[in-house]
Amino acid sequence: MKTSSDIDRKLRERLLLAPRVEGDRLMLGDAVLLAALDGSRALTAGERAALQGSPLTTRRLRTLAIERRVAANDAWQGSHGMLRAADSGAALTRLATDDGFWRLHFVDSGGARRVILQLMPEAPFAARLLRGGTLLRVLDGAGAEVLAGRLDLDGECECAWPFADDPAAHFQQRGAVFCVQPQPGPQP
Amino acid sequence: MRLPGTRYQEPGWEQVRKLLGQCSLDVFSRCDVDALLAQGDALGVYVERLAESLHAASRSARAQAAGNSYGDSVVELALLLVYELAARPGDFDAFRTALPPAHARGEALLRKKVNDMFALLRDKVDADNYQAACGRPCSPNRIYAYRMLDTAYGELARLFAGWREHHAQVGAILGRGLDGALPIEVRQLTSIAGCRPEWILRWSETLERFTGSPGPLHTRSKRFDSLKGNAGKIGEMLLEIGEYEALSANRDRDWLQDLDTSAAWIEDYWRVLDESHAAATPGPDLILEALQDERDVLDVPAPAAAAGEDDPVAMLRAESVSLPPGFVLAAGAAQDPASWSARMLAGDTLAVRLAVYARLLGLDDDSYPDAWRDPATGQLPTMAQLAALDAVSLPTLRKRRDAAIARLQDATSKGRIT
Repeated sequence: MKTSSDIDRKLRERLLLAPRVEGDRLMLGDAVLLAALDGSRALTAGERAALQGSPLTTRRLRTLAIERRVAANDAWQGSHGMLRAADSGAALTRLATDDGFWRLHFVDSGGARRVILQLMPEAPFAARLLRGGTLLRVLDGAGAEVLAGRLDLDGECECAWPFADDPAAHFQQRGAVFCVQPQPGPQP
Repeated sequence: MRLPGTRYQEPGWEQVRKLLGQCSLDVFSRCDVDALLAQGDALGVYVERLAESLHAASRSARAQAAGNSYGDSVVELALLLVYELAARPGDFDAFRTALPPAHARGEALLRKKVNDMFALLRDKVDADNYQAACGRPCSPNRIYAYRMLDTAYGELARLFAGWREHHAQVGAILGRGLDGALPIEVRQLTSIAGCRPEWILRWSETLERFTGSPGPLHTRSKRFDSLKGNAGKIGEMLLEIGEYEALSANRDRDWLQDLDTSAAWIEDYWRVLDESHAAATPGPDLILEALQDERDVLDVPAPAAAAGEDDPVAMLRAESVSLPPGFVLAAGAAQDPASWSARMLAGDTLAVRLAVYARLLGLDDDSYPDAWRDPATGQLPTMAQLAALDAVSLPTLRKRRDAAIARLQDATSKGRIT
């Protein structure tokens, strides 16, 4: 067994959270941290230095960031995407959802077409979906199932392409849209 | 008592404290204490040996017992506290300074000083945990004050429950004479949130009359100065304890688990730094003022001495066996050379790399490949074994390990790693 990215992830988290500074205190208020997290107000240079010098404030940022991600995940009901004009013509190899959190890859291996759903790691709900083993479905514009399954540890799910015509033609004929959805109903 | 983020404020703490005392004495019994403490890296050596002793004792009943209601075991909490100590040299220096010369100390005194060190440390750690969890400033002394109030409430509830036999004292707490019927206050008191602050004040005020020793709010100590006569502040704190107790009793465990295990927040941290680098908001800086926590008057009495220690737990000491031949090759091959940490540590020996992992993630982590583990213990090799691998002294290995950690630290806190 090779070391996994798991170690690096844990290591980085520990490196950020383990240091202790004598007399450390909360240097930035929640309002400043939340505004930096949602991108509405970047930190000033002085605030950035204060954050980097205060492990306690970094830990507070962690709590807020995780709460934000949990909330975003709870709110995720699905992502939509469409076939762009530029996607027609040449063989279709990739589609992305409008929110940028999902990609569909189409590969042709020896005549057998396959479709791969990929979750982008920056998606706020990524950690939860990966851990939760949520059942996901990809539907075309007519509501037919393109793919269904659970993500593997790399955030991917792969199936055989289930239709006779090629992906570009298939999506074109069905409104040139698709969506990724969590399967409703009980989860494991 | 539970508060947001705290880990060390429930009855299981007693066992954590005892395990730390037991294993510290184990460490001290197998070395010259003064020689150990005189070393330049005494803290590093102590932490390392204490962690090994804790691991060796980790299968005992005490170690496996629940240390709090969040599912942390006694040994897990003890190890976490040891690693906290490693990051706080000031606390260890205070311990060294407080230790009398060898001829003037016995085992009991040594144990008491260890107890004192960890008892202060747990409140520091929980004050930090509280601040990280809820974003409100908190000092170790404030944690101590919450605990005093929680204990006082427990005592008051006990008196209320036995109001017939304690009718004089209950009457003094309620501030009125009792006529022999069940007082309505006794019937209504069901949680700390419903405890009136005046009762706590009167309980403390009259404690000396009933027990001979003054109540915590009526000693000459300055520790609780800000609470003395301050029903408003006491009421707020009682309510906070009660509300969180109710909340945490109903809380979805899975959600707590998520908070603890998700490392995806690091992406957010780096993005916040990147965006500030790219387009920092022009000043002024909105940095919080340092609040002088009025409770933080340093008049810290040593925590109550340990009660009688119960019977010694048999120590399952992993013998320090030599590593199997081929360990270096197999362990080296088990690391993905393309991983971030492998690249960052490429210039270090395998022994230094494993020492880094052991220091940061502990001797045992489920992300370690089997080839890194000593078959005799199922854990990473000890520092002594690793030093032997590199044929260097322990201090040299520690120095190299700490230099490597500093490099990683620097890279991580600067921002995104590619």
